[in-house]
Amino acid sequence: MGAVSRTLQKPEEGNSWRMTAAESTGQALAMEAVSKRFPGTLAVDRVDLDVCAGEVHALMGENGAGKSTLMKILTGAFDDYTGVIRIGGREVALHSPSAAKECGVGMVHQELSLARSISIAENVLVGRLPTTRWGVLDRGAMYEEAQECLGYVGLSADPRKTVEEISQHEAQLVEIAKVLGGKPCILILDEPTSSLSREDAMRLFKIIRELKRKGLAIVYISHHLPEVFEIADRVTVLRDGRKVGTRSIDDTTPQMLVQMMVGQSIDEFYSRRKPKITDTVLRVERLTRYGYFHDVSFQMRRGETLGLVGLSGSGRTELARSLCGLEPVHYGGVSLLDEPLEPGDYPSAVSKGLVYLPEDRKEDGLFLRLPVGKNLVAALTGQHSGMGFYRSDRDAGVILRYFEELNIVAASPEVDAGTLSGGNQQKVLLAKWLATSPKALILDEPTRGVDVKAKRQIHEAIMSLTETGTAVLLISSDLPELVGMSDRVIVMRNGRLLGEMAKEELSEEAVLLAANGQYPCRMSGGQQTIHGQGLDRREDSQEGPVSRDQ
Amino acid sequence: MTSDIGARRNLVLTVLETAGIYAVAAALLVSGIFVSPEFLTAENLLSILSGVALLGIVASGMAFVTYSGNMADLSIPAIMAFSGIIAVASLSLGLIPALALGILAGLAIGAMNGLVVGKLNANPILWTLAVAFFMEGFMRFTWSNNQIYPDIEPGTPGAAFIEIFRMRAGPVPLIVLVMLVLFTLGHMVMTKTRFGRESQFVGSSRAAAKASGIRVSRVAFFNFLVAAFAASIAGIFITSMNKLGVFYLGQGYDFKAVTAVVIGGVMLSGGRGHMPGVFGGVLVIGLLTNIMTFLGVTSFRQNIVTGIVFIVVVGLQQYQLRARGKDYA
Repeated sequence: MGAVSRTLQKPEEGNSWRMTAAESTGQALAMEAVSKRFPGTLAVDRVDLDVCAGEVHALMGENGAGKSTLMKILTGAFDDYTGVIRIGGREVALHSPSAAKECGVGMVHQELSLARSISIAENVLVGRLPTTRWGVLDRGAMYEEAQECLGYVGLSADPRKTVEEISQHEAQLVEIAKVLGGKPCILILDEPTSSLSREDAMRLFKIIRELKRKGLAIVYISHHLPEVFEIADRVTVLRDGRKVGTRSIDDTTPQMLVQMMVGQSIDEFYSRRKPKITDTVLRVERLTRYGYFHDVSFQMRRGETLGLVGLSGSGRTELARSLCGLEPVHYGGVSLLDEPLEPGDYPSAVSKGLVYLPEDRKEDGLFLRLPVGKNLVAALTGQHSGMGFYRSDRDAGVILRYFEELNIVAASPEVDAGTLSGGNQQKVLLAKWLATSPKALILDEPTRGVDVKAKRQIHEAIMSLTETGTAVLLISSDLPELVGMSDRVIVMRNGRLLGEMAKEELSEEAVLLAANGQYPCRMSGGQQTIHGQGLDRREDSQEGPVSRDQ
Repeated sequence: MTSDIGARRNLVLTVLETAGIYAVAAALLVSGIFVSPEFLTAENLLSILSGVALLGIVASGMAFVTYSGNMADLSIPAIMAFSGIIAVASLSLGLIPALALGILAGLAIGAMNGLVVGKLNANPILWTLAVAFFMEGFMRFTWSNNQIYPDIEPGTPGAAFIEIFRMRAGPVPLIVLVMLVLFTLGHMVMTKTRFGRESQFVGSSRAAAKASGIRVSRVAFFNFLVAAFAASIAGIFITSMNKLGVFYLGQGYDFKAVTAVVIGGVMLSGGRGHMPGVFGGVLVIGLLTNIMTFLGVTSFRQNIVTGIVFIVVVGLQQYQLRARGKDYA
């Protein structure tokens, strides 16, 4: 009898959020004069932060401002912080991850921590998988409980599926479900939209609002201003480990926030550029990789910044990778300065001057375990060699030059690249390609997850590169960046090029609509013809512009 | 703010990585003196060097495979035996052609390893293990499980062949000189050439190297070729030493060489380490073996000790790596 009733009650217990009186009335979390010292620096310096139940509290600041350290304190990563932390009005000591969990702090990290090849259910319930009396995994209970957790985020996916089978957006939700499964009263979201398309981000916001309504206190870390204005109730800005201030979102503007973050006013610095666009550098003709993109043709001219916009899954990254030779091509070709490139031969493309800055700096961008200096010259092994010998004496000049030009902040060129902050890592990655003096540069999300200041330095570097005549293909889901930097934008959807937009037509709204297939953007000449009946099994017919010949 | 912590840690690691192995070698030398008064004689030290020379030659090549992120070439014993057998079998053509053919035979196996691992992305451990297995069967079948002997009548190429191992330049055996030359060359290749640079990049991150425009399969190919070249030379020496060619001659050198490479500070995960360290690793193994011999430890027990040393060192490396990895999270 006892055993039966206990199993019956279990789901009911699960449904109630852990909420004390204090939480429902107001403050869920109060941090007072919290500090954390690392050898040599005061990473967090007497920061106060209060978050109410049912509030989304944005936490902003450049990389290195102390956001992540502050959140690490909350999740129990350090046992030597100072100051007072109250959760639900009760003073707590968050000296270990388990203590933090116990107190109801849950964090969704920027990078997913899911095991791709096992089921959603096991991922969600990892560490607390239900077992039967015999200590064997209780699959029934597991799927039931996982289903319930997925319900918190409104995900109807089958928990028996593996994570590999679901989309990035759904994986992000699974990650949140996993944290919510621990019944937190404070939920920390670290850049949850950085790998999501605009559409998916909107869906995520809906879920965050739902969680907010349930009384969760949500700390939302983001570099993305429009997002913060969309979702947050209040925002706290940190700079150099100190709190600059907390504002209600209604009393602030993006300019004010940026000013708080960088400590200086932003000017309209995009408008300074006056590109000198001349002859064609890169010609892409009817490039096709079955299943990814079809019949893509466009040209890039000297000194031009060509934007490429498309939702995630539109094939933009795949196009870029095939374009430069990192991935195969099934049809069509690319020529650089009228010289055709060998498909699938990236090294020769690099030596001829077509280079690609990858989307994921940790996966295939940087050598995290090698010194910064070596990373900077990694693409120069050809240029710095003669007769098979490597002239390492030429390295120092290059390293010094880019440390200065891009203002890379590192103790020395000898420290491992993995120890740098995101913004500096991205600068190193960019410098690696700038050092090769490319004729055409493909940038895939060059400022993802990068702070405002670093972003600006990266933009400046790109601008001065185009002034020297390099053609830049900019792939970005950061709309202000795309609109501000591009001289022309081509729009991609479902593996097809829909058309292009001239500088005058560019606005964030127009670009976003175009990427969703709703803006009547200009067709790029007569190049878009349908050929090879088998190519468009995946999408045809519903796409107006591309299926006109059928 | 984290970068200066990183720098300090990096410095400590670098010092440990470089000096560490020589400190161990020095400690072994000192303890050797207590074990036996004859230990610290020029004669014994030279005999230690000649004792480790075979291992050193193999390790100087194996280091490249590990350094470039391919862990280990387990076909090295097969390459040693095969190049020796081919050299002995072709002695009728004269000494120089026989040696050349022997080395070419070893290089052929290395080239195959390099192609399959580099181009087809095969798991290096499993592939080279399979090659070793296949080559053993092939050699036993072709030579009907027999040892083959060179003709050692004075004046024949065979007599010259068995002299190779026994030649000396003054007091220093030829094999020791060859080892020192290979280490010097290896060090130059690793630090001064484009190939060495690219090997480090590929070893640190294959994906990032590929995305930096480095021809990763070509780099892997040459790394396996270098390992096979060194193993072929070792194979000729070991065959000359035994005065016969047979399929089992290089047995155990795969593991011993990886041990020397790894305790010499080359990370099993690739991209870190250097040839002086590997040489130190070879010396430590030589000293350890020599001291154990003085102590009367049987060779089976010596294997146990080598195994334990390997396990401890790899464990420590893994621990270091995890500590480093944590910084990046």
